[in-house]
Amino acid sequence: MSQIIIQGLLLSGLYALIAVGFTLIFSIGRVLNLAYGAYLMIGGYVYYHVTQVLDMPQLVGILLAVVFGCGVGVLKYTLLVKPLKGDHVAVEISTLILAVVIQAGIVLVFNDSSKILHPIVPGVWRVGGATVTFNILTAALASWAILIGLYLFVRNTHIGRAMQAVSMDTKGAAISGVDPDRINLITWGISGGLGAIAGVFFASYTQLNPSMWVAPLIIAVAVVIVGGIGSIIGTLIVAHIIGFMEIISTTLIAAELRGVFTMLLIIGVLVMRPRGLFGREEL
Amino acid sequence: MAFLEIEGLSAYYGKARALHNVDITVEKGEIVAIIGANGAGKSTLLDSIIGLTSIRGDVRLDGDSLTGLASSAIVERGVGYAPERFNLFPYMSVLDNLMVGAYTARHDTERNLELVFDLFPRLAERRNQETYTQSGGERQMVSLGRALMTNPSLILVDEPTIGLAPKVCLDIAAALNRLNQENGLTILITEQNANFAMSLASHLHILETGEVRMSGSAEELGANPELKKAYFGNTHGP
Repeated sequence: MSQIIIQGLLLSGLYALIAVGFTLIFSIGRVLNLAYGAYLMIGGYVYYHVTQVLDMPQLVGILLAVVFGCGVGVLKYTLLVKPLKGDHVAVEISTLILAVVIQAGIVLVFNDSSKILHPIVPGVWRVGGATVTFNILTAALASWAILIGLYLFVRNTHIGRAMQAVSMDTKGAAISGVDPDRINLITWGISGGLGAIAGVFFASYTQLNPSMWVAPLIIAVAVVIVGGIGSIIGTLIVAHIIGFMEIISTTLIAAELRGVFTMLLIIGVLVMRPRGLFGREEL
Repeated sequence: MAFLEIEGLSAYYGKARALHNVDITVEKGEIVAIIGANGAGKSTLLDSIIGLTSIRGDVRLDGDSLTGLASSAIVERGVGYAPERFNLFPYMSVLDNLMVGAYTARHDTERNLELVFDLFPRLAERRNQETYTQSGGERQMVSLGRALMTNPSLILVDEPTIGLAPKVCLDIAAALNRLNQENGLTILITEQNANFAMSLASHLHILETGEVRMSGSAEELGANPELKKAYFGNTHGP
């Protein structure tokens, strides 16, 4: 039981970090950024290259992963999303195509074999009959720290409030002096950075390979569909529902069921409550 | 040179023309009203001044052209806007809505917040309330307050009395008068309620199907029998 609770909490923390960058974009533009999983892959590979090929310190690896993630987010908004503005289907299809292109690029540069990342923090901790790797513990603690930081940023800074404003009423934001384009650009950059750092932790928890973008994308899509809202608190709650559901199903039923219940939950919510569990009425 | 000069302004929604060759000037410190029925182009006119529609012609503020600038840049140059539908941020508190208005005028946040709460004490009492739970009158106050937080020298107010109780209309009129007389704010207001507009404005323009049909002082327009019948029929005031 304690194993389930501890593993559930840790995995959910990681899932919340994986999903939050995706929900930010959904919140501000009502767009599903299907290339989001590729941010995680880029983050993971940049970190791998910097720390395990170039043998540079971990902090440098994390920073460069974030810089690359932000850069890809900003470029994607500027070159793809902005020109296609307003056409959600076109944006979503093009982001999916972009993910496949990035996957091909990764194969070209790093080849298609899986790579194991060294644990960011090696070692294990035994607590209450459960075994916890310091790696997943670090990932979960970092997730919480980043999510709290992001929450405070969105609630208490001018740019954060402007992000909320654009997500609720673009015209209202524009006549308040906020440039919605600039806020979109900033949000896509932040989303890319969040995705990249989530990718570092996700890759250290699983492994690096050129198709690793699919699993986190499903988690992120699930959080948005099940939650129905792009809020940070909502993301956190739904990430815990999904994280615990996955731990319970893989521990008590069968490890092969990883992800299956998440899919079923997506379908169930789409059928029963298309607005999502925490979705608000459009005003 | 007038403070606000609108010259040969035509506005389009796609291929449909909503305004045709509109010329309007507003002197510094003046209240000017645009009167017109639904669909006359009143909101389009204000949207065009603040850069939300594609236009032909020119809009100048204090001699500087605003044409082609982004809305955020126009706001930064001193134009505040309280639109008809408010366009508030429904799941943010009153205070946060006002703080978004301070985005380009951060150094004056404290002073402007004091002005807004002094003008509308009800907003100070309900500063933590999310705006989607508020009444129309309260939302109008937040909308005006948010426009004031941008530090405007000109404020555009789109049909402030629509759907509001008479008592609230009087409060809004008092607030606009105070802003004009005590703070020297220039105000361009649109209204269907011609009596409300006349009670505030020194100069009025009648807008019909996207064109200015007639202009003049409140006395001049009030004395025109045809206009009196069409627009000033309600003698009970707001």
